[in-house]
Amino acid sequence: MKHLTSTALALILAAGTAAAETEISFMLWGSPQEGEVWSHIAEEFQAAHPDISVNIEVADWNGYWEKLRVQVAGGTPPDVFAMDAPLYPDWQSRDVLLNMQPYIDADPSVLEGVYPVTLEAYKTEEGMFGMPRDFQTIVLYYNKDMFDAAGVEYPTDEWTWDDFRAAAAELTIDKDGDGTTDQWGAWAEVYDMEPFWGPVIWSHGGEVVDAAAGTTLIGSEEAMAGFEFIRQIWLEDQSMPTEEQLSQYGWDGLLSGVAAMGFSGHWSVPEYAQAGLNFDVAPVPMGPAGRVTGVNSAGFVISKDSPNPDAAWEFVKFAVSEAGQSELANIGLAVPILESVANSDAYLGQEVQINHALFVEALEYAHMKPVFRGYEEWSGAVGDALSLSWTEGVPLEESLEEAVEYGDDALARNN
Amino acid sequence: MGALRPMGIERWWVLVFLTPTLIGLLLGTFGSIFATLGISFMDWDLLTPPTAAGISNYQGLPDDRLFMRSLWNTLAFAGLYVPLTVIISLFVALGLNRTIPGVSFFRVAFFLPTVSSPTAVGLLWTWIYAQDNGVLNEMITAMGGDPVRWLSRSVALYSVVIVNVWGAIGGGMIIFLAGLQAIPKDYYEVAEMDGAKSWQRLWFITLPALAPSMFFQCVLVTINAFQAFDYIYILTRTGNGNSTMPTLVFSIYRNGFRFFRMGDAAAQAVVLTCMIMVLTLIYFRLQKKWGAQA
Repeated sequence: MKHLTSTALALILAAGTAAAETEISFMLWGSPQEGEVWSHIAEEFQAAHPDISVNIEVADWNGYWEKLRVQVAGGTPPDVFAMDAPLYPDWQSRDVLLNMQPYIDADPSVLEGVYPVTLEAYKTEEGMFGMPRDFQTIVLYYNKDMFDAAGVEYPTDEWTWDDFRAAAAELTIDKDGDGTTDQWGAWAEVYDMEPFWGPVIWSHGGEVVDAAAGTTLIGSEEAMAGFEFIRQIWLEDQSMPTEEQLSQYGWDGLLSGVAAMGFSGHWSVPEYAQAGLNFDVAPVPMGPAGRVTGVNSAGFVISKDSPNPDAAWEFVKFAVSEAGQSELANIGLAVPILESVANSDAYLGQEVQINHALFVEALEYAHMKPVFRGYEEWSGAVGDALSLSWTEGVPLEESLEEAVEYGDDALARNN
Repeated sequence: MGALRPMGIERWWVLVFLTPTLIGLLLGTFGSIFATLGISFMDWDLLTPPTAAGISNYQGLPDDRLFMRSLWNTLAFAGLYVPLTVIISLFVALGLNRTIPGVSFFRVAFFLPTVSSPTAVGLLWTWIYAQDNGVLNEMITAMGGDPVRWLSRSVALYSVVIVNVWGAIGGGMIIFLAGLQAIPKDYYEVAEMDGAKSWQRLWFITLPALAPSMFFQCVLVTINAFQAFDYIYILTRTGNGNSTMPTLVFSIYRNGFRFFRMGDAAAQAVVLTCMIMVLTLIYFRLQKKWGAQA
């Protein structure tokens, strides 16, 4: 028995020395195809760092966050994991992330050429506990075939919200004349502020939230004007499907071919292309306060308890380098954070040929998506209250009052 | 009977064989019950060490909008679901407790939802309830009626009750069929000789003899009502991961796993458990009273 144990021990030791490498794990949300691209990036990384091997694990959005919580709580976190900027403070404030500042200070060149707005979300008083990986600006997507069929001119960069509204009404069609609409002018995700109502409120001169002060700001007159616009196009004109109508076809109206326009980030491009849509993008229309869109970024963080923080940092550094970013640009799910790559053929010359440069230009008039502790709870509370107006005919004044009250409650609970 | 009892060394073996299950029960089931109870008196976000919170998690419940809405939704749901399920499955069982052609087909048909995947079946119902191209609304408009928004907030309660009752009839039917077939045939023969009509046989023989099945079914259905989640979530979920008809179980999940608040979630789970326990105790009391009369 004793002999057996010592043999086993020797074997384990031998295996340890034979491999002679550090193993790190990287977990992210995304599709299996995204996982493949990351495996490819990991291979290239390994070619440059033969002593480090990377295990890639991909999960869908909801599964990802649950898995992550369990792994971190259980003391077996992945070394590196993906982070969505608005949720970053939830994790950063709970002391589970590694402070990357010492690494960045030792090698400041890593931040060279990175779009500054993408770094904003990850900065804290003690330094950066995360690095952006890519960014998403919201643009107007449109289905060219539907515009052609209805004889409506494509959206231009001159468009105001009123132009958008007029076109949407023209594109809302009851094809078979049975009294129910078969094609809507536009569709929008209306719970979270990111794709639609954030840009609408901002371009009407309103603000969304001041998390530090604990106040939800969508009760202002300007914000009200923005919501009133949404109410008109949605409930009066009925140029957008209600949530119940939309759910009959799946959540994305453009993807399922029942809406001519929609708002989204670059993440929709591969999906729309795969569905065979003939589409392009235009800037978000202008409001009374000019043109404003939103920008958000996904990034990387390293576990505070990672046994191999140096190796983990090397991997993050590689992923945000030109080589890593060019590879990522190829999947076409997001815009690279490096100016050089965003203006290179790797990003602009993607297989799907739409106006990719627009997503980069949009940075000029983009507001950052709010980033604070308790974002998900706040977003849920506000979205739920607002939906009373969208689905149950509650007057906007009432649902907005409730949204502010619920939102402030959620902020207070997370302070 | 005596011969079936374990004797001498056999008793030992009974214990040995039961040990794995008992350990699982102790650590798994009771362990998690006590852990939940403990966590409900703490603030814990899963990531940082828990801190003592006294009874603040419980005190905060009445002010928690999501929780209160979930509580009312669950109570309203249970108020409709429990009596409907018990009564309908009883009638189905009475109807199918005879030798008519195709009886096994009907029994299978009623039981099928019980063994089908709730997710798949839930999706099927979303098509039935769909606003513009749903089967139900197409039937209504074909007959000249106005389409109903089945899954809007004001109607959703009734729509999900229908689906859940439909899904639970099979299980109830099996319990009642078993109860019915355990009633000795002589009772009915004697009653018939005494000239009892069929409704009298139902009222004075069948129903009293079914009392134990009925109590069992009530307890079971009540527990299910308070734990209802899958059909309701699939039918009423929204784009942001919320539900237009949140139930208690949904609220527990959301607080614990989405909002980093395990303490609040645990307190809600304890409240849910207490409500089920009180109702079960009431049933047992009633059964004692009623059982004595029968």
